[in-house]
Amino acid sequence: MYQQEVEVISSYIAVSAVEVGKHLYWEIGGYKLHGQVFIVSWLVIIALLSLAFIGTRNLERVPKNLQNFMEFVIEFLQDIAKNQIGEHEYRSWVPYIATIFLFILGSNWAGALIPWKLIQLPEGELAAPTNDINTTVALSLLTSLSYFYAGLNKNGLGYFARYVEPTPVLLPINILEDFTKPLSLSFRLFGNILADELVVSVFTLLVPILIPLPVMILGLFASSIQALIFSTLSAAYIGEALEGHGEH
Amino acid sequence: MVNLPLLLALQETNREIEGGLFDFNATLPLMALQFLALTVILNLLFYKPVSNVLDDRDEYIRNSLTMASTSLIKANELTQKYEQELAESRKQAQDIIKKSQQEAQQIVSIKIKEAQQDAEKLVFEASQQLNIQKEQALKTLEDQVDALSDQIKLKLLNGNLL
Repeated sequence: MYQQEVEVISSYIAVSAVEVGKHLYWEIGGYKLHGQVFIVSWLVIIALLSLAFIGTRNLERVPKNLQNFMEFVIEFLQDIAKNQIGEHEYRSWVPYIATIFLFILGSNWAGALIPWKLIQLPEGELAAPTNDINTTVALSLLTSLSYFYAGLNKNGLGYFARYVEPTPVLLPINILEDFTKPLSLSFRLFGNILADELVVSVFTLLVPILIPLPVMILGLFASSIQALIFSTLSAAYIGEALEGHGEH
Repeated sequence: MVNLPLLLALQETNREIEGGLFDFNATLPLMALQFLALTVILNLLFYKPVSNVLDDRDEYIRNSLTMASTSLIKANELTQKYEQELAESRKQAQDIIKKSQQEAQQIVSIKIKEAQQDAEKLVFEASQQLNIQKEQALKTLEDQVDALSDQIKLKLLNGNLL
């Protein structure tokens, strides 16, 4: 009798279960991929590209509806880059910062707004691409690479002089920083998005719509903040690397 | 019922062969490449054209502003010039008015003088003629008086004689 009950409950749980750490595996050339991450990220990329394509069809000097919105978006993103990197050098970094913001925001909202549970996968579940550690580490490593590139490109090998600033005593901490930066970036994003999805799915498992809804709205807010934080911090790191050590 | 969590946990552990939260694999580099491709495409499709439009608009506005300020300066200069000209011509007009007034006054005074002279002459002539006529009248009167007195004298004398 208990067995029956358990089966009933477990079948119910299987529908709205919390699935953590299970992935839809694809195999390409002997390498394994997380399929669900790529499916959703492609949807996000398609959405971004089509928005960009439609929004820039007929650009005019006096902007109209959609062009206004696109200009607002790009000015917002330029402001992030300008505030962190500075008036002189921000222009070449706008594409990177802007894409980081748009991709993370799109991914987070795709995970929060679209009811992926309705689509059954053989293994794992569709969710925000940013709740996979691979995505966030990839983005944060790109940030690391770009700030190294920015520093070396501007100051040459003199870039490494900043490791002994203000005193050589701080050398180990400065070196450690290069590891903690991508680590904190990636884990902040990963943890926030995963935690948000877990909280929402646990709540939906326990109680119907009334309690999870505010949490979901909070999750929307938090995920946009995470996108802003990631792009702002990336811009700040790049700006820090671009700051010549002789200038201040 | 008590065993439920345990059963579920058992189920989970049985199914979990690979995976986990921190399952790094080829997703990472491919995601990075995909992201870079997205950056490049969005840059070509979105950021560059839109920021070009923004820059063009900025330049257009700046040019229009400088043009407007130059035209404003020009307009101010023109106004000053015209005001000066206006003041000058006003002065000239006043001069002309003064001159013509003076001339007119002169003419008027000359004419008045002439008229006065004419009038005096006329009065003088009239009074002269009057005097002459008066004398003539007196003379004729005297003549008549003489004639009358002669007649009276004659009559008286005739009467006495008779």
